[in-house]
Amino acid sequence: MIGYVEGTSPLHRAHPYTTLAAAAALLMGAFAMTRPLEVWLLVAAALGYAAVGGVLRASARTAVLLSLPIWVVLFVLHGLLGAEPRVLAGPVALSAPGLARALVLGGRVTAIVVGFLTALAATSPHRLVEAMTADGAPFGRAFLLASTLTVLPRMRERAAQILEAQQCRGLRLGGSPFARLRALAPLALPLVLGALAEVDEQVLALDARGAASGARRTALDPPDDSAAQRVLRWTLLALVLAAYGWKFWRMRG
Amino acid sequence: MTLRDLVLVRLGVALNLVIGQIVAALLLPVYLDSVGTILVAALVGPRAAIMAGLVSQVLNAVISGNFSWLPFAVVQVVIALYAAAAARLGLFRRLATAVPAGIGMGFVAASCSAPISYFLFGGVTAGGVTAVTTVLRALGVPLGVAVASASYSTDLLDKAIACALVCVVLRTLPRTLAARFPALAR
Amino acid sequence: MTAPLITLAGASFSYPGAARPALTDVSLDVAPGDVLAVTGPAGAGTSTLLLVATGFAPRVVGGTLTGGRDIAARRCGVVFARPWTQLTGLCSTVRDEVAFGPASLGLPRAAVFAAAARALDQLRIAHLADRDPAQLSGGELQRVVVAAALALGPDVLALDDPAAELDPEAADALYDALPGLGAAGTAVLLATPDLQRAARVATRAVAMAEGRIAAQGRPADVLDGTDVALLARAAGCPPPYPVDITALLRRIAPQSSRGGRGTSDAPPAGSGPDTGVTAP
Repeated sequence: MIGYVEGTSPLHRAHPYTTLAAAAALLMGAFAMTRPLEVWLLVAAALGYAAVGGVLRASARTAVLLSLPIWVVLFVLHGLLGAEPRVLAGPVALSAPGLARALVLGGRVTAIVVGFLTALAATSPHRLVEAMTADGAPFGRAFLLASTLTVLPRMRERAAQILEAQQCRGLRLGGSPFARLRALAPLALPLVLGALAEVDEQVLALDARGAASGARRTALDPPDDSAAQRVLRWTLLALVLAAYGWKFWRMRG
Repeated sequence: MTLRDLVLVRLGVALNLVIGQIVAALLLPVYLDSVGTILVAALVGPRAAIMAGLVSQVLNAVISGNFSWLPFAVVQVVIALYAAAAARLGLFRRLATAVPAGIGMGFVAASCSAPISYFLFGGVTAGGVTAVTTVLRALGVPLGVAVASASYSTDLLDKAIACALVCVVLRTLPRTLAARFPALAR
Repeated sequence: MTAPLITLAGASFSYPGAARPALTDVSLDVAPGDVLAVTGPAGAGTSTLLLVATGFAPRVVGGTLTGGRDIAARRCGVVFARPWTQLTGLCSTVRDEVAFGPASLGLPRAAVFAAAARALDQLRIAHLADRDPAQLSGGELQRVVVAAALALGPDVLALDDPAAELDPEAADALYDALPGLGAAGTAVLLATPDLQRAARVATRAVAMAEGRIAAQGRPADVLDGTDVALLARAAGCPPPYPVDITALLRRIAPQSSRGGRGTSDAPPAGSGPDTGVTAP
């Protein structure tokens, strides 16, 4: 589960900025936590956030899948190959500080992944664009974030078509590294040049629809915001700053 | 930014996100996920290229669920600025100058990403760099050196190929299409 | 006689970096309600004429314009052949996509939705309002694009080969909507190689060759490359040759040309090639 999931949870109904602020707080807070206990409290907070969003099971499962390779590597890199002293875990001698570091780094990644999967699941791109428009954000920002996601499937399709067409013309995908490198141009060039040739039409279409009018765009369906949510967003920021303050103060002392 | 610049940035971002499909089909050990950023730097300029890099990083994270990549956004900014400077110096006009420029870019990019990878993630992000790091570490190389070596070796190759590809694109642009990009004339 | 919306007087235009001018010495008037068909082989400058007449060239595409151009139209819309490249990518429903234009101008919400509803009705696609544009067929999507252009209330709507990627039914539906736009006072500029359909809807026609206007006037005079016109000419009809079936029937058998577009019962007796029609 990666991407928006329809729902009616408090996170879904909240203003998109609030939902994203909570995820951002998890991301930034994760790097302020340096001890295993702190990091895993943050993981618990991330799971709580996912529960509020109504996607606890799905996001936990996906987060485990996404972070599993990282956990394995962390275990090998820090647990097995880490510094002294070692602890015995059955037949294997693991590095104690390495394990601690692996727990911190792994917990960090897990908290971030859970947080953002939840944010993605609870934030409809459409509502986010409306929120940005209602906020008076310049057209370009919303355009780049939302519109790129919409053009991606077509570009992927075209890349697949070019792959097929060139193979029909005799292009071989295998062979020596040099041969494979040479095959890059006949596959990438049509994609790039085709996309560049469409630019004029796309600009004209947008221009004709007033995208460059400079007027403040009317939000057609702006999400509701409230004073409480605004206070919550500022509080989250303050918490993150406090966490960093705590971290640096501890580092000094 | 003009509407035209926005559409070109969008093209650069889409290219960054899609080129991996082609690279994977060819089983090349690179990502080329900055080729769109470099192209936008050459066609438009540094500001647009920075936007392309940042948006690519955000969307990459959104699509793959790999959100630990967001701190590497600063590397995208560095790549964008380097590419714009290289384009201004005309280094993308010939392969003989584009490839060395790419190697230089790889060096600069790795110098930025290795510390981020080491200090924030202990050398473990997702992807091929981590695999190289692990192998080196298993051979007894200290972690910092392993992370740095992995970053440099993959980035040098990746950026050299990316700059070479952009050079070929620019040389293949039909004259009427090229004339629409004033940045190329400089 | 209303003042023209667009006047070109000896206008010439070159794209940046091009070896030859795309338009040379073009003079043209476009009046409200005109449905002007612009035809010509590839490279003749039909698309360029549309862009220059509506003011998008050189402002958006660059290039140099010389000669006289006066655009009295407040706003011009443009529609291209490929529906997909004309979507904003920001809108998850057809209604929002059509409303994008008025919303971009900062109009109040009620006015935005009213304009969108009007445009959807004009193209008879109100039933698609809640659909996702990404899920539509090419024909439906192209009508959404035209509606999106109309939502801004343009005085002039330029369509560059709008049915190129549509199946015949969808193309017919699109062309059938054009006379209604003309009747409502919008001037329609239609660049198209589809002479048959253009002949059905156009009130005026321009034929271009190598960047110059080769002929302009009534469709019957200019669009003489249609199958029907060729047939009529071969059959010995005097010029001007009828350009579509209805006009042909009206010429050779006035009493049987009532009702139905392009359909006819068995031709009445005595309407063969050599009855009452003399070769020029």
